[in-house]
Amino acid sequence: MATHHVLSIKVRRSNLDNSLDSVAFSSTYPMEDQDTPQIITHIEHNLDHSLFDCKWVPCSAKFVVIGSLPKGSGTIEIFEISSGEIKKIKVIERPNSFKCGTFGASSDVERRLATGDFKGTLEIWDLEKSSQVYITKEHTDIINSIDGMGGSTVNCGAPEIVTGSRDGTVKVWDPRQRGKPVANMQAARGETRRDCWCVCFGNSFNDAERIVLAGYDNGDLKMFDLRTMSLRWECNLKNGVCSAEFDRKDIPMNKLVATTLEGKFHVFDLRTQNPTKGFAQVLDNSAQSGTIWVARHLPQNRDIFVTCAGNGQVTLWKYEYPEQRCHVDGSGAACGVAGKLRRLQRMLISTQPVNAWEWNRDHTGLALATAYDQHLRVVVTTKLNLQ
Amino acid sequence: MQKAFEIQKNVRDNAKTFQTYLTDLQTWETEMKRKEAALNGDFVKDLPPVRSKIKRERPVEVKKKTEKRISASDYQAWEKFDVEKACEEVDMAEIGPVSLDSKKSEKDKLEKLREEAQYEKERGNAFVKEEKWDEAIKCYNRAIELIQNDAIYYANRGLCYLKKDSLHQAVADCTAALNIDPTYVKALQRRATARERLGSLRAATADLNEVLALEPRNAAAKKQLEAIKIRMGTKGSKSKSSPITEGNNYPQKTPKIVELDNKAVLDKTTPVKTALEKWKTGEGEDINVMKPVKKPPHLRSKRALKTITIEEIPLGKKLSEKPATRMKIIEIDNQAQGDSNNNDNKTKEETKVSEKTNYKIGDGDSNILECMKIKEGKIKDKVDNGDSNITEESLKIKDEKVKDKVGDGTTEKEISIRDLVPPVNSVQFMAEWKNLKGKISARSKYLSIIEPTKITSIFENALESDVLSEILQILSQDMEMFSNKTVTAYLKGLVRVKRFSALAMFLSTSDKQCLNKLLEHCKNVEKCAEEDILDLKNKFEL
Repeated sequence: MATHHVLSIKVRRSNLDNSLDSVAFSSTYPMEDQDTPQIITHIEHNLDHSLFDCKWVPCSAKFVVIGSLPKGSGTIEIFEISSGEIKKIKVIERPNSFKCGTFGASSDVERRLATGDFKGTLEIWDLEKSSQVYITKEHTDIINSIDGMGGSTVNCGAPEIVTGSRDGTVKVWDPRQRGKPVANMQAARGETRRDCWCVCFGNSFNDAERIVLAGYDNGDLKMFDLRTMSLRWECNLKNGVCSAEFDRKDIPMNKLVATTLEGKFHVFDLRTQNPTKGFAQVLDNSAQSGTIWVARHLPQNRDIFVTCAGNGQVTLWKYEYPEQRCHVDGSGAACGVAGKLRRLQRMLISTQPVNAWEWNRDHTGLALATAYDQHLRVVVTTKLNLQ
Repeated sequence: MQKAFEIQKNVRDNAKTFQTYLTDLQTWETEMKRKEAALNGDFVKDLPPVRSKIKRERPVEVKKKTEKRISASDYQAWEKFDVEKACEEVDMAEIGPVSLDSKKSEKDKLEKLREEAQYEKERGNAFVKEEKWDEAIKCYNRAIELIQNDAIYYANRGLCYLKKDSLHQAVADCTAALNIDPTYVKALQRRATARERLGSLRAATADLNEVLALEPRNAAAKKQLEAIKIRMGTKGSKSKSSPITEGNNYPQKTPKIVELDNKAVLDKTTPVKTALEKWKTGEGEDINVMKPVKKPPHLRSKRALKTITIEEIPLGKKLSEKPATRMKIIEIDNQAQGDSNNNDNKTKEETKVSEKTNYKIGDGDSNILECMKIKEGKIKDKVDNGDSNITEESLKIKDEKVKDKVGDGTTEKEISIRDLVPPVNSVQFMAEWKNLKGKISARSKYLSIIEPTKITSIFENALESDVLSEILQILSQDMEMFSNKTVTAYLKGLVRVKRFSALAMFLSTSDKQCLNKLLEHCKNVEKCAEEDILDLKNKFEL
């Protein structure tokens, strides 16, 4: 039964991926059984500029791709999938490069895209009219990451956008309040400001509770509680945190995946917080694949997620819970127990780092990915329902 | 070698799943495009306040909550405490948010649901054409989930079950459809087929008879009915006594008759007694005899008292000369159940029978206390329902003209309806309403004589939810009856009744279906204004 396949890939150095020079990586995997999901690139579309982010337009077969032209201007392109082909519908070009975007804070009817750009401007776009409905420039440097929440969910709090910037601040915005952020998190005076690489929302299971998670270039991972306006928890992952995501935003926090440079990612069980040890975690550094740029949970199954690596490989994981998720330690405090990670499948889809991935909300297994090889891909993953 | 085969098989399987995935993707694409097209109109959502403003708003809210409370020992304050007003305030608080609710989003939501359901139905119908029953059932399931009160979805799902030979489910679905729309011929036919195959031939014939009653020229139904009759053989003739046809006949009420004896008759000697007996039973004469009925006070009618005119009938010798004159007395209330709460509302009035006619006889073997024969003069006064022994309160005495017409039960019913008086308060209404239990046409007639604007004053705050649902049922069953005063007026009257918001909360789904039907009627037939319909919908919490 032990048919072993050998993969060997060379990854070129990318100017944005400075974590590795060149990696030769080999791996073996046993023959798959029938239920193993298959990751297949369904459509590949070449664009003539760098791509940074991609998002499905809610309730449609359309998506937006955020990128930057060689001359330094930014683009928002809207594509539609029709009969298996990608068709470009609209392009919005602005002098400043866009870095990231989200539909999270907008209702499914309005579908307004919030973007962050290289100069630190947050804009909210009415894509129909190709115009901004909200512009604010409070960050002094590039907005690396953006997340939105509260647009389409009911009773899960106000619509809010969080942005993390190289200027070291994390700001929370409400589209109803112009100009000023509703919350601002920055380093205390006198301390060095770290570059914030990623932000995300979570724990927003009612109107009051909400948590912002921020990852920094020095490996710091900080959890801010927006209800109490305090730092709830922090830890250091040793390598810069590239991406962090809760398995679900609108439930009491359950799990968290944080990916770092040097091919590592951490999965935290957030149900039990020990006063001294914090949260239980499991670390995976098995794949020598360079930076893990992004991790995304499957919307239809929160225990399955994908990680996208610097060598262009995407890996599908399943988190398997332990029999008991917490136990009581010697001092009488509850302590979480980490589960195990099982790799379901992996596939090389690009020669360059895959920097963004988004699952489709309405169709299991359908996903969008952009990579630094200037390609946009529609990826399908089969048999996810069997996991 | 085997490994090679396995790998090959695996590859083939994967290719296959990928292909099916791609076709799935195609349907997803069209689905999403449709969904997107359906996305328009504004979206109203209750949002929590902006985070930075929360702090400022909180203290204000807290202040509001600390309302002045009267301490238990502050008797003076309690004396001034207006309970009525407090109750009203509570009521208004109940109504307030309901009427202020974002009407628009509610309506939009319903419309969207309807659209979705319609789409599912169409998909289901397409599957039916392809004879893919399971898929079609799934579609209809979704449609029903979205809109529960559409008979078509049930009937169509019933058809699918029928085709799948899930006969019991088919019957259940058709019944559900018929509960919503009793005149849905297709559902009846489908149920008949299902029942026929299940072997309950009688029930099937009942359904088919119903079909033929609705559509006398329905050839398919006729054919089917004949086939069933042949199957039933000799039993075929019995199909007439099927439950449905039986159910249509209201239990016939034999008029209760009270004999009114004459003192003069009592004085007669034994040889005459046989004649007396004869006379008592009305033998040989063309008269009905009234007999006294004894009822405990709580069972007595609480209806409003009525003036009855009693005509003179010459008795004795003259009787033979004028045999045709007789009194027809009809009792409507033979099962009246008084509401114990309303007992104190009884009007205590003495029966006043004019002296000339009031002769009493003691009857030996029974406890009948008063037997009266109306002889001469008129009883013009109100008959008492508080009087302990006589039950004339429940009698209605008809004049001669009417009496001659009275031949069978149906005309009798008609007359009792004609005698209805509009109630002044809820007690009268309830008494009459209970009287008319089971007689749908009578109830609707009764309802139709009530002025809609007076509904509020009649019920005050005594409208109960079961009565409300009965009223709604009656309104929806006989909408033509109310065309003069308009159903809308009635609905408006009902919602003005005190504490209606509480009643609205107890409306069952069938009531709501009724209401939807009524509102449809208001909208389409009575051309009621859109705002009024919306307002009513809000009040009824639809």
